[in-house]
Amino acid sequence: MSKSYLDLGETHCAIGHPKTAFWQWMLTVDHKRIGIMYAAVMFVFFFVAVFTALMMRIELFAPGAQFLDGDTFNQAFTLHGVLMIFLFIIPGIPAIFGNIVMPLMIGAKDVSFPRLNWATFWLYIFGCLVALTSLFNFNITEGEVLFNFADTGWTFYAPYSLNTGTNVVTTLVAAFILGMASILTGLNFLVTIHRLRAPGMGFFQMPLFVWGIYATAWIQLLATPVVGITLILAIMEKYFGIGIFDPSKGGDPVLFQHLFWIYSHPAVYLMILPAFGIMSEIIPVFSRREIFGYRTIALSSASIAGIGYLVWGHHLFTSGMSDLAKTIFSFLTFFVAIPTGIKFYDWIATMYKGKIILDSPMLWALGTIVTFAIGGLTGVTIAMVGSDIHLQDTYYSVAHFHYAILGGVVFLLFAGMHYWFPLVTGKFYKESTAKVAFYLNFVGINLLWFPMFIAGYLGMPRRYFDYLPEFEIYHQVSGVGAIVIISGLVLMFYNFLSSWKSGEAAPVNPWGATTLEWYTPTSPPPLENHSKVPYVDFGPYEYHHAEPKVKFDLATMKRID
Amino acid sequence: MSDHPYVPEIAVDREGNEYEVQGWQGDFFGGKFGFWLFMLTEIMMFGAMFMVLTYYFTLHHDDFINASASLNRTLGGFNTVVLLISALTMGLGLLKMRHGDVKGSKLMIWATILLALVFLGVKAVEWTAEYNHGIFLGLPALQGGLPESKPFGEIMFFGMYFTMTGLHGVHIIIGIGLMLWLLKRINAEKVTPEHYILHFNLALYWDLVHLIWVFVFPYYYMIGAGLSTGGH
Amino acid sequence: MATTKTYEEERAGYFKVLIGLLVLTAVTLIQPTMFLENATFGVQMFIGVIKAWMIVMYYMHMKGEKLIGASVIFAMFLVAFFFVIVMIDVNHFQFGDVSHITSEVTSAGGSSASKH
Repeated sequence: MSKSYLDLGETHCAIGHPKTAFWQWMLTVDHKRIGIMYAAVMFVFFFVAVFTALMMRIELFAPGAQFLDGDTFNQAFTLHGVLMIFLFIIPGIPAIFGNIVMPLMIGAKDVSFPRLNWATFWLYIFGCLVALTSLFNFNITEGEVLFNFADTGWTFYAPYSLNTGTNVVTTLVAAFILGMASILTGLNFLVTIHRLRAPGMGFFQMPLFVWGIYATAWIQLLATPVVGITLILAIMEKYFGIGIFDPSKGGDPVLFQHLFWIYSHPAVYLMILPAFGIMSEIIPVFSRREIFGYRTIALSSASIAGIGYLVWGHHLFTSGMSDLAKTIFSFLTFFVAIPTGIKFYDWIATMYKGKIILDSPMLWALGTIVTFAIGGLTGVTIAMVGSDIHLQDTYYSVAHFHYAILGGVVFLLFAGMHYWFPLVTGKFYKESTAKVAFYLNFVGINLLWFPMFIAGYLGMPRRYFDYLPEFEIYHQVSGVGAIVIISGLVLMFYNFLSSWKSGEAAPVNPWGATTLEWYTPTSPPPLENHSKVPYVDFGPYEYHHAEPKVKFDLATMKRID
Repeated sequence: MSDHPYVPEIAVDREGNEYEVQGWQGDFFGGKFGFWLFMLTEIMMFGAMFMVLTYYFTLHHDDFINASASLNRTLGGFNTVVLLISALTMGLGLLKMRHGDVKGSKLMIWATILLALVFLGVKAVEWTAEYNHGIFLGLPALQGGLPESKPFGEIMFFGMYFTMTGLHGVHIIIGIGLMLWLLKRINAEKVTPEHYILHFNLALYWDLVHLIWVFVFPYYYMIGAGLSTGGH
Repeated sequence: MATTKTYEEERAGYFKVLIGLLVLTAVTLIQPTMFLENATFGVQMFIGVIKAWMIVMYYMHMKGEKLIGASVIFAMFLVAFFFVIVMIDVNHFQFGDVSHITSEVTSAGGSSASKH
């Protein structure tokens, strides 16, 4: 029985040669194991954040206070945002599939700096721990524990964030540490993609998922330091009173918003670009044909990353920016929708006259085309300054970004989890359960979020603990949607976990895909990935009569087509 | 990690031509490129701070000029020259290492450490003098609404001055620590004239520290230098 | 990795750059009281850019590096863009007369004839 990377002893470690499975996981530098560990930790925080959201939905089911007070509600949406954004979605797809799949796709044995990758994972864990300490104040002398998490919203706007008595600074420190982890991941991936591609694989022979990770890595590297320094300045303000965001000393709170969003807007492209990469992988495989417009999709990833740096001001339309700045940002924001639109048309063109196979990865991909289209297009509606003045900070924006992030990034993450499940685990999940889970999620997201567009348009503000009775019906429909989507999530994860334990064994390349990650000799892959690094003189999506054109003898990696 | 020497793999195409596979081990260009990417993050960080500075310079132009005039140009200028020479000694250290003069290389690294300590010492003198003039973080001159409060623009100026020179100083301290570690690695023969990527990257780091000062110095010390009340 | 220059040539190059940087430092020190006093900020930043260019090209060996050079230029472009847009915004600040941070305030700690 051949050994895979999951077996005891089949790993490289940062320190020494431990013999126990536990220490082999703790010290592993293998990109595949590191990706799995990221996933395990991230999904724990994901479900905590989902739980927080459920608490809010239950509270908001009817007007008036149900079981939360206003202050606790503020802490709840802050916690939801901080966990979802800093601990889950920003590490997100790069941390999981960027690590596990990207090196395999380029024929590499690992990333360029495996020990740095190991250290980065533990830096991420350290950041999570610091974030956890910001939840509570421990009063040892009186033996009491007070829940004192920040109540500022995940955006931490000054001056409130610097005057509130809740644990803002600890959370900022956690965000800084997590940001460092993101930067180092991006750095590692950039060098890997430039240096470790198999011989013959130029940039335009790379799979589109790698393009997505590449564009994302540039954002991770160059945008994150700006929020890093914003957090440092906020901490300096809080503890040393330097005054730069404090009007009583001549500081300008709008500057905080500029600095914050200079990172946080590119951050959303950091979230979606790897997700689009996953879409570009799944669509050709389940249409059994080459992707349409490979070069355009690749270049559109690069343009989204580039233009995405230039549009942050659309978050400040109602904050007191000059009219000239507002106009410039609105104009640039419309531009960034164009490359995304191009991708959508290319994906649909790929499916045209393809042999469509509606297995669960494809269902998730197709579902996302619907939900992300809604998310993206509603973004364009609020890119107009005039409409944004009315819709900013209402449920309309909240619905927009949840359709885009949940219905775009997270749904594609789930698609990728289904697609690469056989690769990572060597097993199949139960397809029938997976389909049911998908439909629960898809119906749930629309029930939960679509009413919010209407509520927001009619004036329901975001982050509000209470509301006028005329909005009750929207909250009730959303509440039902929340229950539906959560059952879908639970069912999906139950399927994954029970199938990993006792599912049917999967052969190598069960989907009949053409990209290199599927061409390892064993399922799951061995520690050293490919038996031999191939010479790549073929494109990433070459199909001939619905079958992969390029064939290898996997034990020797000799071409047999 | 691995005790076995690294042997690069060879990939073969259909015609039988051989291609060396670039592994993650022994990738000098990768190590250099990776470190440059890290330095880009420092550029983004300090760049954002300069942006904050320019923001308030725009809003409070005259206050900035006045505040700048009160800084000590003699000490600041001296530190500029010290750092400049330390960049040379660091570069010479790497040059000697690459050409096999390990002893001379270590001497140059020590010289750089010394100059860095001188820089920090002068900075400490400056900050102490400012503190004695009542200008420091937390003191009334830099709070709002008090009789001793300085004008808004000067509060912004000094807030950013202490933050930026402080962060720059932290980078110098880290640099000294890294140089001591480099000396240790050279003594352990892990850094040699054949294998010197660590030394190379540290020299790049030191040049970056110098680069930041190249802009910090004129922006803080020189913009008010034309005032007749300049310097003390 | 290996340069085509000899040890002496490289060493001489470093010293030449040092002299250049020292000269430019001297210029920055005398400029505000000697020439172009009205444009001090611009001149100082311009000299800074020249010094930075010399350090990056010669001390940091970026001359001849294509990928690294392109990455540095990209990052610089981003910083420049952030600068330009934020400065456009603050230069067109519409509430200067009524904003606490820029209007003439009578209490101590107010702004002194600030915004232009």
